[in-house]
Parts: sequence; structure tokens; C-alpha cells
Amino acid sequence: MSSIIGRAWAATAQFRLVLLLVVGMFIVFSVTQPAFSTSTNVQNLVANSALLWIVAMGMTFVLLSGGFDLSVGATATLVGILMAKLLELGLPGPLVVVLCVLAGAVVGGLFNGVAVGKIGLSVFVVTLATMTSLTGVVSLWSGSNSFLVTDPVARWLATERFLGLPMPIWIMAAVFLVAVYVQNRTYFGRDIYAIGGSPIAARLSGIHVPRTLILVYALAGACAALAGTIGVGRVGAAVPTVDGTLALQAIAAVLLGGTALTGGHGGVGGTALGVLFIAVLQNGLSLAGVASDWQNVVTGVILIIAVAGDRFSFRSQIGRLRSSRTPGPSDPDTALTDGAQKAPSASPDSDVRAFPLDNTLSTSPEGTRP
Amino acid sequence: MEDAPGPPLLQLRGVQKSFGPTRALKDANLSIPVPGVVHALIGENGSGKSTLLGVLSGQTRHDTGIVQIEGHSVRFGSPVAALRHGIAMVSQEVAVAPDLSVAENVLLGRGLVRGRTGVSRSASRAKAHEVLERLDFDIDPDVRVRRLRPDQRQMVEIARALTADAKVLILDEPTSSLTDDEVQRLFATVRRLKAQGVAIIFVSHRMQELFEIADDITVLRDGTTVAQGGAGSFTPESLVEAMLGQARLVDQATRSEPASVATANPVALRVRALTVTGLVEDFDITLRRGEIVGLAGLVGAGRSEVLEAIFGARALDAGTLAVDGTPYVPRGPRRAIQRGLALVPADRKTDGLVLAMSGVTNMTMVETHDAPRLMPPARRRGAAAVARLCTALRIAPGAVDVPTARLSGGNQQKVAVAKWLVRRPKVLLLDEPTRGVDVMAKADIHQELHATAAAGSALLVSSSEISELLTLCDRVLVMFRGRVVADVAAADTHESEILKLAGGHPS
Repeated sequence: MSSIIGRAWAATAQFRLVLLLVVGMFIVFSVTQPAFSTSTNVQNLVANSALLWIVAMGMTFVLLSGGFDLSVGATATLVGILMAKLLELGLPGPLVVVLCVLAGAVVGGLFNGVAVGKIGLSVFVVTLATMTSLTGVVSLWSGSNSFLVTDPVARWLATERFLGLPMPIWIMAAVFLVAVYVQNRTYFGRDIYAIGGSPIAARLSGIHVPRTLILVYALAGACAALAGTIGVGRVGAAVPTVDGTLALQAIAAVLLGGTALTGGHGGVGGTALGVLFIAVLQNGLSLAGVASDWQNVVTGVILIIAVAGDRFSFRSQIGRLRSSRTPGPSDPDTALTDGAQKAPSASPDSDVRAFPLDNTLSTSPEGTRP
Repeated sequence: MEDAPGPPLLQLRGVQKSFGPTRALKDANLSIPVPGVVHALIGENGSGKSTLLGVLSGQTRHDTGIVQIEGHSVRFGSPVAALRHGIAMVSQEVAVAPDLSVAENVLLGRGLVRGRTGVSRSASRAKAHEVLERLDFDIDPDVRVRRLRPDQRQMVEIARALTADAKVLILDEPTSSLTDDEVQRLFATVRRLKAQGVAIIFVSHRMQELFEIADDITVLRDGTTVAQGGAGSFTPESLVEAMLGQARLVDQATRSEPASVATANPVALRVRALTVTGLVEDFDITLRRGEIVGLAGLVGAGRSEVLEAIFGARALDAGTLAVDGTPYVPRGPRRAIQRGLALVPADRKTDGLVLAMSGVTNMTMVETHDAPRLMPPARRRGAAAVARLCTALRIAPGAVDVPTARLSGGNQQKVAVAKWLVRRPKVLLLDEPTRGVDVMAKADIHQELHATAAAGSALLVSSSEISELLTLCDRVLVMFRGRVVADVAAADTHESEILKLAGGHPS
């Protein structure tokens, strides 16, 4: 029994700080704010973070693969408009939701996925461009008008209760379980970690890097779209304003949860805590009557501390292991090679820097054309 | 002036330098008595050559020993300090800013001339022009360096070194990426500088070049200066002997002969006229099942490029290939893997392994690359092979369950090799299969490679360690500047011969 707890504790290493903070804040707010720990408040707190939660789950995979996606906020808004238009056509609600999610996947996979994974363009440029273009499309398509959505599916998504809990919580749970499955129990999940860890090693091992990345960005787009439909349900209308901060908040939540921006390290479990951290902080502080601006200040500070802590623990571990390797007697170059990697200016024998795999190998996404 | 019996221009005596437990320099000596000579520095990989250059150019601080310039003892803390004493180095990798002009690159650092308002363009240009003139380097000072050929870029670096009024100019393997014509142009410049009274320390593995350009030669072996003298007092043979040492020469004689392979085995890989423009020219090989063939050659000879091109990790410009007698067109690693090819890349940390993942995951990555992606991984798949390989390669139990970043270099390399042996490949390409691993791990890997060949795989091994090739391989192809210059049976040759061939010296 104790070993199970021990292992569970060890598994939290990547997001331990945030875990402790979430629990700590929960206790503090419960004691100081009588309204905080009521069942209704906790349900609201969780359900209100549904959008961020779902977007952040998709975003986790993008970060694990070594990228990020700035366009999810625009995708969510665009899909909201699409939803309103499709319902106007008289299509059945559930079908519309499915179509919307698929549309989000297509947008993410086709624009971001192909440009980043297949063509090899910069993640920042590509997703920024997608965000900008989609924001434009939203305005043009909607004529800057909001569309009232009265279809029952909207209410069902946002406010319906099932077994005593609001529907968004069930959707969050479902998304989380699917994400955990994809992450831990599929080759696709393993591919994402491999690509984030070392894209060259992944490619040389036969992993289809472009295809995997297209799917990763499609997944992020689908999550954004699902969040978009819930957003429509909550407001009861498709509003043509793009939440520019949604993507950044999601990235912050993922980073808080211990996933590395460089990829290959972290997971959706930490992201769940990252989102909860933001949700609890927001809810608790507003109950306490603290201006909402302070939430941002605190989130930012904690983000830096969390990422710095992660860097110290993980990096120093690998750094120590690398430098402590002793060279074999047959090859006095070993220690020197390692030294050269850390400080090129002190490289003692350039002969050992021999064979870097060149640009062709490291940048071309897949395949070569003889 | 030259005849005055003043203190020598540059003198190193008993210089020592250690990096942790490794003694890179034990007793390095080098002497350049007068200006205006070309002094060649030669030594094997890991002989301490680059450390010595680092000491001279201020990149490395020596532990003990004497470094004197014109009689004054110095101990440089930075490259700038070395420059102030008139020592400039042009390193192997050309370091220029591609988007600046020739003039700006030449004057990079302290060179730009200050005018009334910031940098004076015209005065700077004139100063750069003067230096370029001195080199007889006919180039428009305003052209972007990006548009220059490699040798022209190198010339820009030499010009930059001269703006600091260098008395000693170090050229670290300046010819490794140049064509024959370009080498001749470089040599003309070297001779001109020599006539102007600049002393040049010239590092190269190419023996012919050394005898062509050098006045004096210093040979380093194992951190120690083992020979020095006028170029005329050496022959290619005596130079190789000095580099390798008597012990190694004797050692070779008693080396056990590698098991020879039946030349009647079917051909596993046939490559004809493989060309990667500028890197590999007309590479041919016929690799039979069970055969282990080595690729020897200097840095930049095109060994890695051959392996990468065959595996489809690098675009090739021409070539006909066949695997097991059926035509094969390299188009990406996936295709190669499906045809039974495997590549163990040289750098295990970035290319061979995903360090954050466990040994088991790394080892099964290739085996499962075409499994359905959204299905749960079959935990058992490859487990038997992984267990077998752990035993065969003597990978410690449990070591394959932790992230490979935590393993020793030897165990990492074992995993990087083993991942290609879970399903036995038809053709196994290995780039530096034992770089930086200890003797035991090396022996384990070699043994497993022999077993793999014995089971019917064909192996092509590239290594900068000639002794490794001779113990591992049946025959060795020697490459020089992208071409195969010799194909020798390992049993009929010895290290010094291959070293000579790899240096472009016909045997």
C-alpha cells in the first residue's frame, strides 16, 4: 500500500509544486471563505474552467511534440459561428456538434499541421498566421454580428445536468480520459514524446514525423472546436470576438503542469492540475473580493517559479549524469566531446567533433528526393 | 633582423593540460625560432593537437609549462589576449557573419574605424581594402559573405586575423573542405604571408600537403611532442610511425586476423556511382551477406554522408542501388527500414536515441514503427528480443527501464545499436559504432556485431578509429575527399598504410 503511495508521489515529480499549491489554496480558501467549499461553488469552479481545460488538453500534445499553437482561440470562435450557421440550416444539433469538432480538426491539421509538420515552417509564425487569418475570417463571415443560438443542443452542452453534475464536467472528464488513453496507451502518444524528445532520432527510427504532427495539430484544433461549441452554449449565442488570451492561458496551464516547452516531457495529468490551479485561484480570489488583475500577477509569478524549478531538477540531473561519465581508456576523447558540447570555445580537440548530421538531416521533415 | 640571435618568436616547453581525469597534453613542445616560416603540426585524433591550438589561441588555459613569445612568458585567458600578443587563429569551422559584407567581416571585432558620427564607412572600407590587397585577394569588399565560396570565406577570416597584425597565424585544417584548386590558391596566400614575415602554424592530416607547404614539422602523440624537425628530415613513413608510435605498430603485427567471409555469399547491398554533390563522388560497393566492410577516411572524407545517403536520410544526386538484388531507391528512413536497412548514427544523444525515453521504448521504436498508431501497444512485442539483446550486449538488468539519459555512454551506445537488432536487418550501417565508450562496452558491441554478421546481415561500418576497423572488418574502403581511393583486405594491411591512404598519399 505504501509503495503505491510512494510511486504515486514519485509520479507527481513534474508538477509537484502546482499540486501542493492547488491543495494548499483549496484548504486556505475553504477556511477563509465559507462560500468556497460549498458543493455548488466547486461545481461552478470546475465547470467554468471547461473551455480552458479542453483547449489545454489538446495543447498538451502540441507542447509534448515540441511546438505550441496560438490559433486555438480563433478556431474556437470560428467554430462557434459555424455552429450557429449550421443550426440555422436546420441540421440536427448533435450532428452539428460533431461537424464542428471535425471542422476544428481539419483547420488545425490542414493549416498548422501541414505547415509545421510537412513543410517545416516555424511554429510561431505558422500558428500566429493562422490565428490572424481566422480572426479575419470570423469578422468577414459574421459581419461582426452575434447569432442567437436557441437549439436545445446548446443548452444541453452548457447547462444540462447529468447524474447531478453539470454537463461540462462530464465532457471534461471524457476529454481527459481520451487524452490519458492517447498519451499513455497508444503508439501515437509514444510517437509524440519521441518527436518532442528528438525529432531526428524519431525520423531515423521510422516514425512518420509529418503525419504525427498533422494529427497533433488536428487534435488541438478539435479540442478548440469542442470548447467553442460549449462556449456558444454557455452564452446562448455565437459571438464574433476572438479571445486572444485563450491560447496563451492554455499554454500557461500546460507549462504549470510540468510539460516542457521543448517537448518530450510532461503530460495531461499535470495539465489538469495547471487548469485547476488557475480555476481555484480565480474563484477563491474573487470570493475574497480581490481584484481579478491580481490573479494574472500571481499566475505569472507561479508560472516562472514552476518552470524554473522544473529546469533545476531535470536539467541538472541530466547535466550531472553527462559530465560524470568517465571516458574509456581506449578513447580519451569522450570527456572532451562532452566538454565541447557544453562550451565550444574550450573544445580541446576539434577532431572529435567530427560528424554532425547536417541540415538536410535535421530540418527536412520527411523523405528525400533523389 | 631575421639573422639576429634574438629570442625565438614562439616557444612552448613542457606544456601540460588536463580536462578532469583526462590528460590532453602531457609534454607538448613546439618552437618557431624565426618569423616567416610554415610550421606543420600533426597528430592523430585525440593526440592533443586541438588542445595545443587552444592554448596558443587563448581558448584554453594550460596547467603547467612555458609558453613564450619573443622571450616573454604568457598565459592567455581569452582569444583577445592572444590576439594582443599577435597570435590569431582561423578555426576549422569558418566563423563569418554571412549577411555582413566582406569589409565588415574583415574588420569585425576592433577593426571598424570610428568616424565623426559612429563608424566611418569609407575609412573602414579603405582599411579592409588594404588588408585584402596584402593577401592579393581580388574581391569586392561590399559583397555579402553569404555569396562567397568556402575558400573565399576562409580568406576573409585570414584577412580578419591580419588586421590584428598577427605575427603567428594558426590555420586549423584549412584544407578539409576545399577543392584542389582552392587548396592551391590557399597555398599561394600562405606563401605570400610567409614572405611578408608571418609565421604560420598549419594543421592538416593530408600528408602530401604537409610536405608541399611546411618548412618544419612537429608531431604530437598522446599529448606529447614525439618528433620535431625540418620537413626534409621526415618521410611519409617516418611521419606515420611517429604519429602511431612503435607500440601500436608492433601491436598490429600480433593482431588476430578477423574471420574471413565466404566471398560466394549472395550480395545484400549493391551501390553504383552514388553521388552527393560536393561530398561523395561515384561511391561503389558490393556488400555480401555476412560481410563486415569498413569505411576509413579523415573528417570530411564523406563517410557519414555515404551511410546517410544509402539510408535515405540525406538526398543523393545520383546512384543506383539494389538490396538483395532488387532495385532500391532511398527515399527516407521509413522506406529504408521497410527494405531491411538500418542506420546507427554517429551521435547517439541527438540522433540515435530519445534520451528522455527508456531503453525498452527506444529499443522497440524501430520494431513497432509500422504498428497501428491508435491501438494500445502490445507490451509483449519485442520483449523476447529485448531480453536476448540485453543478455548478449550485457546491458545491466533494470538499465533499460529508466530514461536513457541516465545511462553511461557505453550503455547508451549499446541501446542505440540494439534497437536495430530487434528485427535482424539485411544491411546494417554503423557510423562510429563505439565512439566514446569504454573498452568493455566496445568489446561487447563488437562481439554482437560479429554475431549479427554471422547470422547473415551485411555490415558497413564507418569509423575514425582505424584500429577498430581492422579488428572488426573483413575489408576496408578508404575514402579521400568523397572518393574511394583504396579497397584493402583487413588482413593484408596495417594502420599506417590506411592512415597514409586516408591522407591522400598513394601507397
